[in-house]
Amino acid sequence: MSLSELMSLAASISTRIGAYLPDLIFLAITAMTIIGALMTVISRSIIYALMGLVVVMFGIAGLYICLNSPFLAMMQILIYVGAITILIAFAIMLAGPMYKHPGEWRGPIRFAGALVAAVLPFVFLYKVLMRTDRLQAGVDEFGITTKEIGRALFDKLTLPFELISLLIVVAIIGAIMLALLSKGEK
Amino acid sequence: MTGQFLYNNLYIYLFISVFLLCAGILGIAFRKTLMGMLISVELILNGAGLNFVALNRFLDRDNAYGVIFTLFIMGIAAAEVAIALGVILLIFRRYRHIEGEKLKDMKE
Repeated sequence: MSLSELMSLAASISTRIGAYLPDLIFLAITAMTIIGALMTVISRSIIYALMGLVVVMFGIAGLYICLNSPFLAMMQILIYVGAITILIAFAIMLAGPMYKHPGEWRGPIRFAGALVAAVLPFVFLYKVLMRTDRLQAGVDEFGITTKEIGRALFDKLTLPFELISLLIVVAIIGAIMLALLSKGEK
Repeated sequence: MTGQFLYNNLYIYLFISVFLLCAGILGIAFRKTLMGMLISVELILNGAGLNFVALNRFLDRDNAYGVIFTLFIMGIAAAEVAIALGVILLIFRRYRHIEGEKLKDMKE
C-alpha cells in the first residue's frame, strides 16, 4: 500500500519536473553562454579566454538547437570549435608563450572606460527593445529544414554563395602570401 | 500550455545577443594583446548570427534567409580569422610582441 503511494508520489514529482525540464535545460544553456562570454572577456590568461570562447560556441550551438535549427548547430560546432578555435590556439602557440607573463589586463582606469563603453550600448539597445511593439507573433513550428536551406542557397542566393567561396580562396592565398613574405623579409 | 516555454521567447535570444555584443566591445577595449581582441571579435560575430537566426525563426518562418546569412557570417569569420592571424604572426616576427598599444610605427 505504501509502495503504491510512493510510486504515485514519484510519478507526480517526475511529471512536475518534466514540465519544467525544457526551461531548466534552456536556462542552463543560457547560463553557459553568458558565463563563457564573461570568462572570455575578463580572464587574465589568453588560453583561458580561448577555453571560454569554446564554451560560448557550445552554448550558442545549444541555442540554435532550441531555435529548431540543428543544421546550424552542427555547422557552429564544426566551423567554430573545430576550425577557428584550433587555428587561434595554434597561433597562440606559434606567437610564443605569451601567457607566461600575466600582462593581459590594462589597469583599472582602462577597465572602467571599457566597462562604460560596453554598458552604454547595452542600455541603449535595452531601451530600444523595450520600446518596440510585441514582436511575438505566436509560436508555430519552424519549418526550415536542411533541404530548404540548400534549395534557397542554390536557387536564389547563388551569387553570394559563389562570392563567399571566392572570398575564402582570396583570404587563404593572402594568408599564405603574408607568411611567405615575412619569412623572406627576415 | 505548449508555446509558453522559456525557449519560445524571442526577447531572451535578443538579450543574449546584445550581451555578446557588449562583452565583445568590452574585450576589444580592455584586452592588451591582439589575440584577445580577435577572440572578442568572434564573440560579436556570434551574437550577430544568433540575432539573425532568432528573428528568422520567430518572425519569418517561411524563408531561410536568416539561417543562410548566419552561414555566410561563419564563412566570413573563417576568412577574417585566417587573415588576422597571418597579420598577427607577421607583427610578432617583426616586433617580438603582439600588444596593441605599442604598435605605433604605422600611426605616423
